[in-house]
Amino acid sequence: MRARILAVDDEPNMLRLLKTILTSKTEHEVVTTNNPMEAAKLLKEEPFDLLITDLKMPILDGMDLIETVKQIDPNLPIIMITAYGTIETAEEAIQKGAYDYITKPFRQEAILITLKRALEWRQMQLELKSLKK
Amino acid sequence: MFKFLRRFLKEEPDEQALLREKFVHFRRLLDNNNLALATMADMEEKASGDFLFDTGYLDSQVQTLSSAVGEMIEALHHLTKDRYRQLDLVYNDVLQKLLATLKTGAIVPATPPILWLDQLSKELSASCGAKMANLGEIRNRLQLPTPQGFVITASAYQNFLTKSGLAAQIESILEEADLKDLRSVETISQQIRAMIREASLPTDLVAVLHEAAATFQDRPIAVRSSAVGEDTLFSFAGQFATLLNVPPSAIVDHYKEIVASKFTPQAIFYWKFQGFSLHELPMAVGCLTMVPARASGVMFSLNPQAPEQQSLIITAVWGLGTFAVDGSVSPDIFELKKAAGFPVLSKRLGQKKKALRPQPGGGLQEEDLSPAEASQPCLHEEQLQTLAEIACRLEEHFQGPQDIEWALAASGEIIILQSRPLRLSAPAFRGRRPEKPHVSVPPLLSQGVRAVGGVAAGPVFMLRRDEEIPHIPAGAVVVLRQPSSRLVQVMDRLAAILTEVGSPTDHMTILAREFQVPTLVDVKGVRQTLHTGQEVTVDADLAVIYPGICTELLSKPVGPAEPWRQDPVFVRLRSVLAHISPLHLLDPASPDFAPGACRTFHDLTRFCHEKAMDAMFQLDVEASAQAKGVSRFRSDLPINLFVLDLGGGLREPGKPLITEDDVTCPPFRALMQGFCHPDVRWAGQVAVDFKGFISVFANTLYDQNKADTTLGGKSFAIITDRYVNLNSRLGYHFGLVDAYVDEERNDNYITFQFKGGAASLERRERRAQLLALLLEDMGFKAQANSDLVRGRLVKYSREETIEILIQVGTLLAFSRQLDLALASDDVMHKIMAAFKAGDYGLRSLQEA
Repeated sequence: MRARILAVDDEPNMLRLLKTILTSKTEHEVVTTNNPMEAAKLLKEEPFDLLITDLKMPILDGMDLIETVKQIDPNLPIIMITAYGTIETAEEAIQKGAYDYITKPFRQEAILITLKRALEWRQMQLELKSLKK
Repeated sequence: MFKFLRRFLKEEPDEQALLREKFVHFRRLLDNNNLALATMADMEEKASGDFLFDTGYLDSQVQTLSSAVGEMIEALHHLTKDRYRQLDLVYNDVLQKLLATLKTGAIVPATPPILWLDQLSKELSASCGAKMANLGEIRNRLQLPTPQGFVITASAYQNFLTKSGLAAQIESILEEADLKDLRSVETISQQIRAMIREASLPTDLVAVLHEAAATFQDRPIAVRSSAVGEDTLFSFAGQFATLLNVPPSAIVDHYKEIVASKFTPQAIFYWKFQGFSLHELPMAVGCLTMVPARASGVMFSLNPQAPEQQSLIITAVWGLGTFAVDGSVSPDIFELKKAAGFPVLSKRLGQKKKALRPQPGGGLQEEDLSPAEASQPCLHEEQLQTLAEIACRLEEHFQGPQDIEWALAASGEIIILQSRPLRLSAPAFRGRRPEKPHVSVPPLLSQGVRAVGGVAAGPVFMLRRDEEIPHIPAGAVVVLRQPSSRLVQVMDRLAAILTEVGSPTDHMTILAREFQVPTLVDVKGVRQTLHTGQEVTVDADLAVIYPGICTELLSKPVGPAEPWRQDPVFVRLRSVLAHISPLHLLDPASPDFAPGACRTFHDLTRFCHEKAMDAMFQLDVEASAQAKGVSRFRSDLPINLFVLDLGGGLREPGKPLITEDDVTCPPFRALMQGFCHPDVRWAGQVAVDFKGFISVFANTLYDQNKADTTLGGKSFAIITDRYVNLNSRLGYHFGLVDAYVDEERNDNYITFQFKGGAASLERRERRAQLLALLLEDMGFKAQANSDLVRGRLVKYSREETIEILIQVGTLLAFSRQLDLALASDDVMHKIMAAFKAGDYGLRSLQEA
């Protein structure tokens, strides 16, 4: 499945690297923004299958973003990227509805596996929804 | 009066307290040495390309590392009474360079404000941006047709921003800006763009621009951004403006328009919150003749959807290429086989309903095309051939698949507008090695700790001494007892490295990681199992060594080179590592092993660690030995040994008389265990009789009064829970052992020194040689110089170090017997063989 992924991180370098790796190792389409305030706008405008976001960002952090995203698409899996030492906050993010978190720096395989699982989860949610209809 | 008296009554400095303090600094140095080495190893691992990390990671690692190295230097100052103060200067110098690398983007080279395309080549990308530098390369080195013109350099851009005061103004706007929503970011972006449009260029730049623009003789031009780092840096780059078919007379306004396009909302957000300088991504601008293209398009020198098919893709539209890129027209798509004659594999003709064409007076016009024109192919066979040839030439020249913009001039000539690396996408997990690769032969060894991953094969070279390093053949799998940083001299030509002991964070493995040489450490039994010349395959990822060349492991996964290695964080990590990892201080015995020769943090840690061990070794313990709180060590041996515990070395500190059972310090216990080996003869001296046999003469002095008499002066040991410094004086011999034993392998070491004796210099020298050989056999790096022998062994595991200390203890006791015995080299070799065989009483050498 070719999925559309939105990646949000206030640090463009990380974003760029993430995009390079995801597009070179998967078939997914990756849209990025370094402005968390733009994320909600993008999600409203276009369909996405997955959101990868940094936890700690200026103005609108990843935790706030979860709430906004849940209102737009409650089934959108969210992978949080957290810095080492903020595990508690990451766990809190899971409580709030994030799918999973990953601590940076991380191995390429780690994000690829998490992403694969999240997309499978997304697929299952959508199938479940259509069965219930 | 009291003051005066007090000065005289002032207490003597407490020597033991000073020693304790020294030990605390030594411990601090060791801890920080470990932290520094682990941090360096971690950074090298990140540079391998397997990880994702951000600049936050770089900042924090550099912070950790610089503080650890700073602490080491401080500790060394305490240990050496400021002997190496020069280190402070060196440290600051390295740190400043490091911080400069970390913080600033590319340094803009000073160039004239404009450079003509005829002068450009890819080496000038820091001045002109990759886009224009590559175009110059294509024009000048490949002699392919391109537009003509010039580039306004990054240096001109910096001058403009600084001299106009814009840089300061923008910075203050960003500082004060309260960005709370998308609109406020957009507003700031608009505000800054307007400021740039209104700003005045430096007058000399205006003059140069007008003069250069005059060469176009009023023919319309294309003005394109060519920001330095545009292709490799920042996710929001690559969206900067291009102006097509504009009059050259208004070049100043065009230039400012392109510069203004740099200040997008994303860029504003970045500068506001990332603390980077506005001078990053300096904007060079290309001014080129406009090609009034009949048709244009894009070609990929390798089909990104199916790279294994070895085909190339050409897309084409009528008129200018804008519609081919933005997708507003469905283009013709041709797929050509990359083989002789470039056969067309597939052809899909699009309905190109409109074309964008430059107007004679300037500006662009969208032109509707008739259905017949729309479906007509833009390129005929011959043109496809020419394009395919060009694509292959560009791919070969730039050493990788290219994404090329081209135009077909009215004359029929094909003109190249741009060529940049093509980013290939690949299916998930491609190139990932299988978890358990199938190899048909059973492994020779499944042992060791992965220090640097990868697979390599080659002939084994057993490295026994550092002096053999120059003889290592290219492509060899080097096997050695323990890591040696001197291997760096040949690391670029090694296939793999295997060491019997060692850790993934020592000096050598940090260097091996830098050179990407697959390395396994702690491979037990490797020196017994492998032999020189034998071909082996090393799978460092899974820590397995196979006999022969296993092609099934070595076949490289197909796919593009890892594109993320060009990403800015990787580039920055590598430039930061250039001030961190390289090791220039290889040989402690060399005069170059000095503070002034340190150029990296690695050099500084190496220097501090080495000199700290020396400082502990040379501790002045005389005064402490006289002080109170010293215990006398009671044993059956005729030695006069005193012990000072600096903390945790004795079960019960302060007892005037102690025995072996009171000692809790493991390295001291080990030494004494070896020292008291029952086979070592204490009751006499060893000598050679006239037949050349060894005999032991009774030592009357010893026999007469065993309890109180010793074989020499006072021996003294300073101990803690993991450290021993033993000064032994036996007869006329001075032995010194300094050792540290802990769970952390990098901390562990033994320093050994032996000197003196009553025999002739020749015999004493022979004994020094003998000791050096025996020490080397145990794993020491040892050196004999006249009758002095010194050896050092580092970074063995706790258990191994303890085991070796027992042998060292035995050697210490054993060697005092040899005072007179070493009459010839023959005897020396016999004694050496006896020691190695465990015959410490030299029974095998005595006359029956």
